[in-house]
Formats: sequence, structure tokens, C-alpha cells
Amino acid sequence: MASSSHRLTVGRPALGPVGTIRETIKSVVQRRRLLLYLTIARVRKDGGNTIIGNFWLILDPALQLVIYYFLVGIVFNRPQPDFPLFLFAAILPWRWFTTALSSATESIRARNKVMRQIAFPQIVLPLSAIAASGTGFLFGLIPLFSLYLAYTDRLTIWVTALPLVAAVQVLWTLPFAILLSAISVFVRDIGNFLRHALRLLFYVSPALFSYERIEGILGPNPPAHLLLDLNPMAHILTAYRNILYEGRAADWGVLLIVALASIPFTIVSIYLFRRMAPSFVKVL
Amino acid sequence: MTVKQRAPISLKNVGVCYNMRLSRKRGLRKAIAKGARLDAQGKFWALRGITLEVQEGEILGVVGANGAGKSTLLATLAGILTPDAGSIAVYGSIATLLQLGAGFDDELNAEENILLVGAFLGIPGSVMKKKIPAILEFADIGDFSRSEVRTYSSGMRARLGFAVATAVNPDVLLVDEVLSTGDATFREKARRRILGLMKHARAVVYVTHDLESAKEICNRAIEMEDGKIIADGPARKIITAYERKMRTRGGPHASAASPKRTQSTPLRRRARKG
Repeated sequence: MASSSHRLTVGRPALGPVGTIRETIKSVVQRRRLLLYLTIARVRKDGGNTIIGNFWLILDPALQLVIYYFLVGIVFNRPQPDFPLFLFAAILPWRWFTTALSSATESIRARNKVMRQIAFPQIVLPLSAIAASGTGFLFGLIPLFSLYLAYTDRLTIWVTALPLVAAVQVLWTLPFAILLSAISVFVRDIGNFLRHALRLLFYVSPALFSYERIEGILGPNPPAHLLLDLNPMAHILTAYRNILYEGRAADWGVLLIVALASIPFTIVSIYLFRRMAPSFVKVL
Repeated sequence: MTVKQRAPISLKNVGVCYNMRLSRKRGLRKAIAKGARLDAQGKFWALRGITLEVQEGEILGVVGANGAGKSTLLATLAGILTPDAGSIAVYGSIATLLQLGAGFDDELNAEENILLVGAFLGIPGSVMKKKIPAILEFADIGDFSRSEVRTYSSGMRARLGFAVATAVNPDVLLVDEVLSTGDATFREKARRRILGLMKHARAVVYVTHDLESAKEICNRAIEMEDGKIIADGPARKIITAYERKMRTRGGPHASAASPKRTQSTPLRRRARKG
């Protein structure tokens, strides 16, 4: 009858940074079910109240592809060979990145009611935002792989490396999502700012154009070039394009460095989140 | 393990403060205007110097005017608020009956919401799954169990919320005035369920304005004022003294001097009725 003891002590965890991070990871693992249900709820909300429901998960990225195809391929007249696949290989993961960040930014504020009633590790909220938009990414793979019907010769064994590249992307989404969710509790304007920042980042990432082309434009300008080199998404998108479009191995060395570089950022973001978390309920 | 010998709840010199500079910053202009009215630190202490031990088997009633810190005390015990001073320890599983239906997601149906709230509470999924039929039966929502919670009436929502929140027997039960749920039949059923939980729990903290029921249910009471405990003793004695004090004062205005918080207005209105 009696439920097991869930928590032995309540109160400020008198742990150092290392202990805080270990405890946070442990608490998330314990609440993995919560993460699952929150993700399901969020995915359903996105498709809810529409006539075709979750079919939007597939239609949405497909329509976005059409628009960018029209913009870059026809208006700017800059098509690459097999242009739809070229575009989609980068737009789809980028979409995941932006939806993850923008919904993570709202995630804590959106659940302020339950935070006032139940004590739980709030960090699952931004994490579920990443997971839910990851579900959108998975459904977006359906139109992506449909494109291979038209470009059969582009489909190579390297496509199987997709989970690896996606994992690196998750590693880099984590610190931003965690930090943005916490900061937006105190500074609500961050969401408005984020929209524009992501737009800018989109244009300095090799999403609409190839890495070489962006490099050609920014090359003569050292600070701008540095921006491109330091942008983890630039390397990640290039890796996606390598395996999905060019049908060759990604630059695994670069990808490994990008992956390793995310770890200190994630650790710092978790620590900062935990430092801010006690104030959430008071501020919301 | 010496779990049995420890007091289930113990607080030492606990303080909770709100940094008014951080909260409710809706705009830069408002923040500046508000900041001018605060003290040097810009802090408001909702709880201050609370030292309290709730022993095994005690049902502690908490009375006091609104803004006295009762709800803050409960939130602190539940681990929702972390103390800014002092230390607090609560041993065993904790259940909070604060506001019903918190944690529900509109897009999920009853069963999924039961699992969701269970996950919020940290109850293992296997335990929660077994409880689903009993919860649905208690909430009495009939055919609606398969439709999304957004289609529910407020009464159904509250009943389901109550049924979920009271589904497991906790060691420590924290109750904040939730007996006014649903119609008369359900209220009676809910009252019985709460009394049953209280009997099983190792310690109960009960915040209420219903002084008559508090006198009956509780075996110990504290009175709070301005974030401090000002009286502590047997429930009947403390509550009777509190009633007498309120009558001579002509209403619970004890907190009028403390800085206004946004939620204090509706609460105060409710208190005048009782």
C-alpha cells in the first residue's frame, strides 16, 4: 500500500558543482517517465486542434522546403544540383534546433502552475522541449527520404551515420536550451530576442548555401569568418549534408571536436540552471 | 536505519525571502517605480526564524491571517520553495494537497494525466498504473476517461485532481484547504478520504480557515503572524485563543503592514467570509 520513499530530505542541496551536476543527472534519470509523458503531451499539442492533426509533422517541413526552394532556387537563382535534397539535408536539422530552443525558452514559464504545487526536477522541462522537437525531426525524415525516390544515386551507406550526427546536435542543443529556459523566467524578453538571433545564425550557417559559398562570402572578413568557424551548427549542418547529400563520410575529426567542445558548456549550463532553479517559483 | 526515531518533519530557524527586485518584473519602468519603495536589500521575508518539529502521529493545524506565511510554510515543507536560511528535513514520502489538478495537461486523457501527475510526483509508473482503475472510479468521470482533459468541466477536473493526489498513502501529508471540491456527495467522500490519509500518515500539516474542523481533526496547532510562529500548543487551546483574538480585532488584518504580494488580495477576501 505505502509508496516507496521518494525523497529523503528536502532543502538546499549542500553540494558542490560536481555534486549538483551528478544529482541533476540522477534526478532526470529517475524521472525519465515524466520526460516521456511531457514529450507526448507536447507533440500532441502541436498537432492538436487541427483537422489533419499530426500529419502536420510531415507537411510542415515539406512546405518549408518548397518555400526555400522557391526563394533560393528560383528568386536568387542559386541552385545546386539536386537542389531540394541539398536544401532539405540542412533545413530539417536546423528546424529541429530552432524549434527546440524556442519551445525550451517557454517551457518553464508554461508549466508555472505545476511548479507551484509539486516539487520535481524542473530541468526535465527544457529537456522535453528538445525531445518533442526531435520527434518532429524524425517525422521530417519521411519527406526527406521520399526525396531519395527522385535522387536514387544520392542514397549511400553513409545515411546510416545520421544518428551519430544527430547526437552531436543534441549535445549542442542541450546547453542553449537549458540556459535559455532558466533565463527567460527572469527576463521574458529573451524569447523575442532569440527569434532574431536564430535568424542571423541561420544566415551565417551553411543552410541555404554550401559551406564553401558562405566561406567565400565571409572569407575576406576575418571576424565574420571566425563567427562561422565557432558556430557549432555550421559544422553539424555540413556533416548532415556530407552524409545525406554528397554521400560521403563527414569530417569525423571535426565532428568529434565539436562534440567534445559541447561538454563544458552543458556542465556549466546545468550548474547555472540549478543555481537559478530555487528562484523560479518565487519569480513566476 | 534509525528512520523510525527521527521526527518526520523538522525545521531549524528556517527563513524564506522573496527578492522583490527579481519578482514580477513586467517592465523596466514598473521595476524602477517598484524598486523605489523597497528597503536597501529589496527583500521580503515570507517566513522568518521558523523552528518546528512535527512528531510521529501529530496532525498539526496551521492558523493565521492571510499573508502570515501559512502557504509558504507548506510549499517549503513540500520542497517547492527552498529555504534561504536555516535547515529543513522531511523524511518519507510526501503528498501535497495544495491546488487540485495542477500538473494536468489539456491534451492528454484521464489515464495519461494520471500517469503524468504520478511522474511529476515521482511515483513509479508501475505503481501508478495499478492505481488507474481506482482513481477513475473515485473521480467518477464515467465515459470521459478516454477524452482529453480539456473537454472536462471544472468539477470533473477537480475530482480527478483530488483522486490522483490522494491515490497513494504518504508518510507526510500537507493539506491546504481543499475540502471544498465538487458537490455535497463528493465533498463528503473527499472528507472521508482525507481523514483516512491523515490516519495513515506519520505526520500531517493542515492549513485551513475552517477553524471548527481544524479543532476536531488536529491534535496540535500553531498560529502564524508575519512569517513567524507566535503560538504553539494543543489544537483546541490555540485555535480557541486565535478565534477570540480575531473577534476582538474585528477581522484578520494582521498582515496589512507587510508588503503587498499580488496574490494576497483574493486570499484576504476569502478570509473575511470565514
